[in-house]
Amino acid sequence: MAQVPCTHCNLNFDESVMITEEYPDKTLHFCCKGCQGVYHLLESEGLDTFYDKLGDTKLQPAAQHLDDLHKFDLEGFKKKYIKESEDGLYEINLVIEGIHCSACVWLNEKVLHKTDGIIDATINYSNNKAKVVWDPEEIQLSKIIETIRNIGYNAYPYDASLQEERANKTKKSYYSRILMGVFGTMNIMWIAIAQYAGYFTGMEQRFKDILNVAEFILATPVLFYSGWIFFRGAYYGFKNRLVNMDTLVASGALLAYIYSIYAMVTQSGEVYFDSVVMIITFVLVGKYLEVLSKKHAVDTLDGIIGSTPTEVTVEEDQSKSLVSIENVVVGDIIELKPGEKVVIDGVVTHGEGSFDESSLTGESEPVFKQKGDEIRSGSICLDSVIRYEATKDASHSLLTSIINLLEDAITKKPRIEQLADSISGYFSLVILTIAVITFFAWYFSSGGFEHALIVAISVIVIACPCALGLATPMSTLVGIGVAAKRGLLFKEATFLETMAKSTLLALDKTGTITEGKPSVVNAILSPNFQPDFLLSLVRTSNHPISKGIERYLLTQYESLKEHPLEAIKSIEAKGITASYQGKSILGGNAALMERSGIMPDFSSEHSLFFFAIDDEIVATFELSDTVREGAKEAIEAIKKMGIRVVMLTGDHEQSAQRVAKAVGIEEIHAKLLPQEKAVYIQERQAEKEVVVMVGDGINDAIALAQSNIAIAMGRGADVAINVSDVVLLKETPQSIYDAFRISRRTFKAVKENLGFSLLYNLVAIPLAVTGHVNPLVAALSMSLSSLIVVGNSMRIKMMRFKK
Amino acid sequence: MSENIMTLMLSVSTFLGALGLVALLWGVRTGQFDDQSKFIDAARYDNEEDLRDAAMMEEKKKAHKKKKAAQKKEYMPVD
Repeated sequence: MAQVPCTHCNLNFDESVMITEEYPDKTLHFCCKGCQGVYHLLESEGLDTFYDKLGDTKLQPAAQHLDDLHKFDLEGFKKKYIKESEDGLYEINLVIEGIHCSACVWLNEKVLHKTDGIIDATINYSNNKAKVVWDPEEIQLSKIIETIRNIGYNAYPYDASLQEERANKTKKSYYSRILMGVFGTMNIMWIAIAQYAGYFTGMEQRFKDILNVAEFILATPVLFYSGWIFFRGAYYGFKNRLVNMDTLVASGALLAYIYSIYAMVTQSGEVYFDSVVMIITFVLVGKYLEVLSKKHAVDTLDGIIGSTPTEVTVEEDQSKSLVSIENVVVGDIIELKPGEKVVIDGVVTHGEGSFDESSLTGESEPVFKQKGDEIRSGSICLDSVIRYEATKDASHSLLTSIINLLEDAITKKPRIEQLADSISGYFSLVILTIAVITFFAWYFSSGGFEHALIVAISVIVIACPCALGLATPMSTLVGIGVAAKRGLLFKEATFLETMAKSTLLALDKTGTITEGKPSVVNAILSPNFQPDFLLSLVRTSNHPISKGIERYLLTQYESLKEHPLEAIKSIEAKGITASYQGKSILGGNAALMERSGIMPDFSSEHSLFFFAIDDEIVATFELSDTVREGAKEAIEAIKKMGIRVVMLTGDHEQSAQRVAKAVGIEEIHAKLLPQEKAVYIQERQAEKEVVVMVGDGINDAIALAQSNIAIAMGRGADVAINVSDVVLLKETPQSIYDAFRISRRTFKAVKENLGFSLLYNLVAIPLAVTGHVNPLVAALSMSLSSLIVVGNSMRIKMMRFKK
Repeated sequence: MSENIMTLMLSVSTFLGALGLVALLWGVRTGQFDDQSKFIDAARYDNEEDLRDAAMMEEKKKAHKKKKAAQKKEYMPVD
């Protein structure tokens, strides 16, 4: 039958199931009441130009929302999320759900602007966050949320003051400082070109003076405004008696600046304003990239926190009341409605139903729970009303602890950097000391202040951060570029170094080593088997096994026909039953067959799917989650590098063993909960192992956050990607191996560079100290040493990879 | 070439560049670049209607301020 797009959401459906409206000039199709409602609302408000802007973008069908609007007007809610300004206006930060394109942003803003009582509404397209200001005397928050829901979106609040405000402020401040730095650097370089030319061909002092003054004017704001961050860092370091990278940058730049002023005023020697601005600007850009990646992580976190309910329905002496989650105590009876998210752990006391635990376990299959079963927060109640007894309070529940762990991971990450800083810190301390000693030695031995200062400055300039400072970032930059071309995104340069030093690789099973979708490995068919019926049956279910069978049928048979089945019933965790013209059709696991009185005499280490017509099994399928292509070779190669490989999985022992055997992993840890994976990694870290963890689901997020290097599969859950350090866009095990290779090669280049610059300094510094080098030669040799470092780093590009 | 011309050229060009920089910094400070995507989309979607919208929001803000001022006037503290 012909498929037509829904007039509102653009999704394609069979024409027969659509709501159709005929008009003389047009025919409208809607996939649901929600879309129909939104369309007519927009039309009557004169906002139908939305559809022109939308183009071919597909939206989510407009959902009918639960009747929970009253909660937005509760006092506890107001206290938590609403900010009141001095002139009596209320302000809230919302995450808007369902935004797909800029047209959606336009529509939401437009509708909010038109609503009376709303004073200001801005929506950020990049992260779907909105800020709304309204007059509480004219409109209530529930009404605002209702307005957003009416046009087919949903909104929930988040607390911006937690992380976002701070992250935003830092980002803006860095951005302004970089702009200033880039402006200064670009202009000074133009002037410096004239100066270099003048140096070699001769230039009158009067012109030199003008250029010097121009450079001075440009360099001053860059040093003190853009470079403020380094001065602040150096100051805090000084207060804590630490010499860090900031000290080195700040002192190097400041001394070069002071010397240049001296050279400018006394008209003796060359000025180094260009080095001043370049040092500041380049190091600042590197720092900014870090700030950016942190901001992304904060955005996702707000999404998770915002979608958790703030109140739950508590049943007490036959009466129900909404209680803020902080006030729920152990032993309270909580009622869950279909579609609600669990925020407090507990045990079922009444009712039964299925739960979506995918955000915790990564398994897409719903889990059936009945009286006495444990409910974990983070799962979603799918189909029935359930009452359960709280066994923990909100702050100790699983969901809260996951969120807290992630928050910690975001704020605590840069630990390796501190190590790198401390090394260059010692270096800068030594250089500064040598320079000071040189100055006094020359001053007292020759008595000339000028000469002593010039020699001391030469020492600092010749050992200026460049050679040592470039050694690491230049190679890592090239390394990151090479990795990115292979679809490996390292979020920070320093991760390459940590990865190169890693000793243990922990792999998640489902979705990492395996494809994450089961496929048929063996089929036993009887002559009575009719694939048409089986296809009709499995198409009614979204279960991974059904999908696997569907894929198998479509590749094995051509021109399959679908039959309209009747009385389709899906039986939780067992299978599907249906009937067709009086015949009973069953498809599912052994438990379903036994329920219908059929005893299948077949067992396998794989998942089994039986298909029976009129109580006779006509087909048996063995399904297995296939191991990703090349996994065995990649793991073997990684082991050859001297890295221990282990598998961590939430799955049961048997299937874990099978996969481990197939790919050649000896050490496996099965049946692990998300926290247990993290604990395992923690234990290994305590044994001084540097752990790389590869995973894809939210269930891996804690372990990923705990590991030294976290690698996420590109199609994995948002949280997993955000806590990870490396993202694999090409989801092949080969790319994990490539990541190891690139990081080791890069680290080798770093070591070579460091060795070279150390050697260079060993030769150059004594020459400078003894007064054999003037500042210009010092600057030239510094540039030369930097060039060598750059050239050596470029060699990483020559790495060869298996296609 | 005299020093004066060189000084003039350098100072004029730096001044003009600085003006641009100040404008850019002002834009960053007032949050006009907070949303990269929207910034780019503005070129596609901005029209008189949006301008009217913006004017309407300004009106709303003014009206609220007026209302507040009126409320304040009505309120007479006891002596």
